[in-house]
Amino acid sequence: MGTSKSRASTKAAKSAPAIPTRLVPEKTFVLDNGAYTMKAGWACDPSVPAEEALSHCATIPNAIVKTRDNRIWTGAQLNTHVTDWNEAVFRRPVEKGFIVNWEAQREIWDQTFFEEKATPRNKQLRIAKPEETTLILTEAPNNLPVLQRNTDEMVMEEWGFGGYARCLGPTLNAWCDVNALFGDPLTRSDAEVSPKDCLLVVDSGYSHTTVTPVYKGQPLQRAIRRLDVGGKLLTNYLKEIVSMRQYNMVDETYIMNEVKEAVCFISNDFIHDMEKTWKANRKREDAQSVVVDYVLPDPNANKKGFMRPHDPLLHAKRKKGALSGLSPEVLSEDVLVLGNERFTVPELLFRPSDIGMQQAGIPDMILQSLSVLPPGLHAALLANVLVVGGNSCIPGFMDRLENDLRAITSSECVVRVRRAEDPFRSAWLGGSRFASNREELGKVVITRQEYQEYGSGWATRRFAGLV
Amino acid sequence: MILSLSQTPLPTKKTVCVRITQEPKSWHNIRKTPQKKMFRVELLANTTTHATPGYTYVADRGQAPAKANTAPALGRKRGINNAGKGGDISSRRANAILRHLAELDRENQRDVSIPIPARPAREAGARVSRTKTSSNVRRILVSQKTFRNHIDDEDAAIAAGGGGLSVPVGAAAVGPVIPSRVKVVAATGLAGPTAATPRRSSTPAAASMTPAGAGVKKKRGSTLATVTMPSTPTPAAAAAPAPAPATTPVPATSEANDAKTEDDGENHRHKILKTEHDSDPLLRSFGPTIPSERIMDRLLSEPALSYHASRVGSPLSTQLPRSFCCMCGYWGKIRCKSCHLRTCGLDCYKVHEDSRCGAFF
Repeated sequence: MGTSKSRASTKAAKSAPAIPTRLVPEKTFVLDNGAYTMKAGWACDPSVPAEEALSHCATIPNAIVKTRDNRIWTGAQLNTHVTDWNEAVFRRPVEKGFIVNWEAQREIWDQTFFEEKATPRNKQLRIAKPEETTLILTEAPNNLPVLQRNTDEMVMEEWGFGGYARCLGPTLNAWCDVNALFGDPLTRSDAEVSPKDCLLVVDSGYSHTTVTPVYKGQPLQRAIRRLDVGGKLLTNYLKEIVSMRQYNMVDETYIMNEVKEAVCFISNDFIHDMEKTWKANRKREDAQSVVVDYVLPDPNANKKGFMRPHDPLLHAKRKKGALSGLSPEVLSEDVLVLGNERFTVPELLFRPSDIGMQQAGIPDMILQSLSVLPPGLHAALLANVLVVGGNSCIPGFMDRLENDLRAITSSECVVRVRRAEDPFRSAWLGGSRFASNREELGKVVITRQEYQEYGSGWATRRFAGLV
Repeated sequence: MILSLSQTPLPTKKTVCVRITQEPKSWHNIRKTPQKKMFRVELLANTTTHATPGYTYVADRGQAPAKANTAPALGRKRGINNAGKGGDISSRRANAILRHLAELDRENQRDVSIPIPARPAREAGARVSRTKTSSNVRRILVSQKTFRNHIDDEDAAIAAGGGGLSVPVGAAAVGPVIPSRVKVVAATGLAGPTAATPRRSSTPAAASMTPAGAGVKKKRGSTLATVTMPSTPTPAAAAAPAPAPATTPVPATSEANDAKTEDDGENHRHKILKTEHDSDPLLRSFGPTIPSERIMDRLLSEPALSYHASRVGSPLSTQLPRSFCCMCGYWGKIRCKSCHLRTCGLDCYKVHEDSRCGAFF
């Protein structure tokens, strides 16, 4: 508790003089193991500002990829080694937010965190001595008991961490300094790090979107709800639409993901935007505000894809070929014209019924979640809605969510919806701050000794709060 | 009448649900001899048809949790359920939606197997030196089960009465064994099988949530309220008399808590500006109270819901379903007479008819 924190870069944990009776290792490694990326790094002192703390956190793709030339790349190599993403196929160890395939996950972890030699490059992430490290690992809510048990067994028996805590990813967000986001009075900096009292975390990630009410850093399990629409489904839907209407992009998951990130937005006036993109209205002025062209990447010429305003005459010009005076580069490029695809695709987050899915959209999901909680909590939770996850970065998402939520909640409640400063690494940052509160951490961590004594069944029950 | 045939002891698990209905009494039927009954056999939407390594026995109890929310509402009363929602959803259409959703859930378009890359011997040697692998680790590593396999296993375990798993954490909420301990307060939106499970109602959760207790519990809440609830009224409400005679007794423990934290509450109160309007009855707020410490402890100690139970239910607000042109994405105004897909106009319809309309569903 009062002992000085060893910095992340120091080699081994000093044996602190005041160790609690249970031997929880001093150094803490926080790993937010998402389906798309892992967010990982050593926990650092909570007094440093968030930007500096986040420099300790690395984002590593959590996938094994086979590229067109039949080469296989793992984890961090994807950022550096892969240039040609055409027809890349993915193997992801995390399905639906849960670690399912440990064969692949072990390979990625081994390569990222357990390299044999310390190099300057992996210094930040290398776990030299797992037995002297506490691991905080996140999981998605409502995991299957079997998978939880597998996770515990792998962490404790394959790598043998000295201390280990498995907690729900969204709950860690409550440990971030969210008061500043909501404009509430700041907590005193000298006080011990404590979680936000009431927080409703909307986590819209790769595999799904979840709503988790968090009370003093703990989840209210009965009110956790999940919508099976995430970034993956949106990408696949866009891929399918584009493949039907324009080019066959069926095998280009990665490229379509980039297209989605570049062009998609959430409409605040769906009907109006739809009229604007109607093909008979295309040539009008106001259509130009919605319809765009996306130039597909050309790996041979080493060109990346990009978005530009729609040019209605481009097609005609290209038919004329060289006569039109277009440069050869423009003539050779492949262009996707994106109109209503831009907003009908992410609209699924708010109206899943558009593809026949019998699930409610995000604002409705928040209400369904609240409906099983005491009414006394509603106001506090609605006033503190924190949005994290990659989908929250879609332009218009925050406005739409706030408007829709405002419209369906009772008028007495204040509705405040905020996006975390870094929606990707917010849970990691919370975990890092949580780690500094040794007392609270000690309550959830199990040690290696305890695991060896009581076994994995006990560990799983312990994390479920049953022991 | 719904009939479910489960052919379980096959290497690939396949549950076939078939609906057998009597032909509606059209004029055509009535004119025939009334004794003669015509049956219509329909293949129902089903999510569980896929290959699994090994097989599991799934007791078909009518409503499978896996299908509760993914599958469009089908069943005996579908005409009633879908009355206002344009319920023209046939089982063929439902099957098509399910197939489409499964398609959208894929990681890669084709089924590919990507092997773990072989590491150089030097590194491999280094890894061996770590420790020997335990049997658990070996078992987990060789397991090639996908998420679908795991979820099927859990469904089977739940259907078999919550057994099969040594850790009935997730199963607790749906399984008939352990009913959840706290009463559902306003279970309007609670969808899926949880709503059907019997719950004990003897906890104080419901009691203290009545607005009648508003005046009594305000002190406790104020510590929390100052930070998190901008909408909470000034603490003057605490001084105001309870709007109605309290019909439900407040739990004794929470009274004790109140007494304990009284000082704390007083401190907070001094920080807020006092005006003479604080006791104005017109400004009194009748907001629900913050639940007591005890209720929150109960809520926090509840076990997690199962995977299916935590899926969000169908929308609360009645939205009219929107349909889109299957060609260009504009509003789907006309429907193809043979395949029931929608198009926006004759342009798109002609293209659809020429090239895409397979009329296969």
